[in-house]
Amino acid sequence: MQRLSKLLVVLSLIAVLALAACTAPAAAPTGEQAAAGGQAAGGVTMSFWTRDSNQEQVRALVDAWNESHPNKIEITVIPASEYMTKVGASVGAGAPPDLMAVDLIYVPQFAAAGQLTDITDLAKALPYFEQLSPSHVRLATYDGKIFGLPFNAEGSYLMYNKGLFKQAGLDPENPPKTWGEIADAAAKIRALGDDIYGFYFSGSCAGCNAFTFMPLIWASGGDVLSDDGATATLTDPNVAAALEFYRQMWADDLIPPGARADTGTDFANAFTTGKIGMVGTGAFAINNIKTNFPEIEFGATFLPGAEGGASSFAGGDSIAIPAGSKYPNEAFEFIKWATSDEVQLEYYAKLNNLPVRTDLAKNEYFAADPRLTVAAEAMAMGKTPYTVVYNQLFNDANGPWLKMIQTAVFDGKVEEAVNTAQEEFTKILSGQ
Amino acid sequence: MATASSAIVKPARRGATLSQRRMIAGLLFVLPAVIFTLTMFIFPLIMTGWMSLHNWPLLGQATFLGLQNYVDMINDHQFWASLWFTTQYTLLVTPPIFILAFALALLVNTALRGVGVFRTIYFIPVVIGLGTSSLLWVWLLNDRVGIINGILLDLNLIERPIIWLVDKNLAMFAIIVSIVWKTVGFSMILLLAGMQAIPDELYQAAEVDGASYWQRLTHIMLPLLRSTFALALVLSVIGSYLAFDQFYIMTRGGPQNQTITAVYWIFNNSFTYYKLGYGAALSIVLLVILGVLSIIQLRVLRDETTY
Repeated sequence: MQRLSKLLVVLSLIAVLALAACTAPAAAPTGEQAAAGGQAAGGVTMSFWTRDSNQEQVRALVDAWNESHPNKIEITVIPASEYMTKVGASVGAGAPPDLMAVDLIYVPQFAAAGQLTDITDLAKALPYFEQLSPSHVRLATYDGKIFGLPFNAEGSYLMYNKGLFKQAGLDPENPPKTWGEIADAAAKIRALGDDIYGFYFSGSCAGCNAFTFMPLIWASGGDVLSDDGATATLTDPNVAAALEFYRQMWADDLIPPGARADTGTDFANAFTTGKIGMVGTGAFAINNIKTNFPEIEFGATFLPGAEGGASSFAGGDSIAIPAGSKYPNEAFEFIKWATSDEVQLEYYAKLNNLPVRTDLAKNEYFAADPRLTVAAEAMAMGKTPYTVVYNQLFNDANGPWLKMIQTAVFDGKVEEAVNTAQEEFTKILSGQ
Repeated sequence: MATASSAIVKPARRGATLSQRRMIAGLLFVLPAVIFTLTMFIFPLIMTGWMSLHNWPLLGQATFLGLQNYVDMINDHQFWASLWFTTQYTLLVTPPIFILAFALALLVNTALRGVGVFRTIYFIPVVIGLGTSSLLWVWLLNDRVGIINGILLDLNLIERPIIWLVDKNLAMFAIIVSIVWKTVGFSMILLLAGMQAIPDELYQAAEVDGASYWQRLTHIMLPLLRSTFALALVLSVIGSYLAFDQFYIMTRGGPQNQTITAVYWIFNNSFTYYKLGYGAALSIVLLVILGVLSIIQLRVLRDETTY
């Protein structure tokens, strides 16, 4: 029966968006606003929207703020997959939240549509402005103005199984530093047994490979877009070389065959079987494995380039003040507080979350676990593509980015893959 | 609401005839359904039509385009490919659903003790959400932990686990199996209801005349099930044409975008590319196609039998 009403669902979804866009009071998904508003003696109550992916961290942070400040924050958690449409509808209705956290890749799109408050002067007045995650700040900059600041950070790096390294006669304290070394180590680990593989990547997951494959290109000195995000640069030889590196590992059977079908469901799980030698992943995985799979001894190292070097995809959320915010100044106070030394250490680092400041990548809490420092340093040197059509280019499961990787790695047609993707990227970029 | 309805009722009490009063009472009874249909279907439909005439981005202002979205569809290769793929899928998935549903309906259309248990078992998958059941099948089909590969390996039918969802034909086969499993119970219940609506006297009369089981089946049951078949077929075909969840979850439209259905393409345009206006235009076209298909099916299977 659900199938029967599918068109209706799609239609009504679109219509709900449209409704919200046309009528004034948007269905803002908050319940206690009125009640909470009365209680804040002398202060205001700000609405703050965030996605569910990192809600624990955000909740702890907001609770701490509310305990110590007259201006209160009321948080609304929205599923990540619906975040953009929800925010888009509320912004269109002229009833946006007072403050919002948003995946940093979408900030250019919001800024370009004129939906965010310019916070350039306030941001630049922060004593630690220069130390804020450069990738976040770069993506939050539009037309020379700053529209957001880093709120939550994630950096990709190479995770490896030290136990398998030892068994394969590799030095677990000396992880691979070039593609050649990764392939060699993967081959030695593969030789350990039928169901043990050297390397893993989610072959049908677009976003996973933006996160873990793109840094290989950057570390070799290549790129996928020009700095201004206007031109595709997939014909850069470093792109083809990185694809060829994966293709060879796939052809040599160093990657589990099922990786090809993985739409991301196994992105975080494959390594936890203890039968995968190396995988590109993010800081989130460290806590998960330490807590749930204590028997796996693992290390973290940077994602390298062909002949050395290192890079990372700097991800996470930026925090911004929507154009219609009722309390922009109060909202900035929260941003300032969240990025301060004390909060970055006590509510980020202490809880195993990466600080959003490069000067705090090395800190007393991470000293106990060097793997967190690797992730934090990876984030600090990380890059992120700057484009207002990020979803269409990189995140779309049916888009040109994933198609390029699949055609090159699984079908072995590297050149054709690169040329087609370059064409499709150019087409999407010109349609802006 | 209360004031509005009493305003309608009052004058009726004063001077209305009995039939007028009955009519008004009847209208009041259907009012909730009318309101529901208006707000949940008619109004969204009008809104969708309106949006389809615009360039309607998620963020920023909508601009009027006229029929440009519909013109753009002509050169949208993926749209045509998706429509064709959806048609193929519908043609492939419908026969197994019906053959199996008919067979199951025959089996459970007996008065044997405990037959209700089987009806329930066959119907259970219908109750599961399609998203949930698709995820279930993803794990059943998994190459490392999936039970299907495990069984095939244990029976020595295959040497290595099959990666079901990366090959267009294998993926299509796997999805069809999963959907038949998921929906056959629904068609079975419809057909069963149709079978039970046929008066027993007809069979008894035929039996007296010496008709065999097979003859009773083909000459009495099948012709009299015509309108039930029409209903079940229309519902099933519409459902298949609107297929989305199973492809979104099981193949993500892959490999190489070969399993993108029409609704999947609408979803992509609306919620991945944020082209809400174009997505609305695609929805309208799909609605028209489905309307035409349903009319054709109902015409072909029109039934004038009464008993």
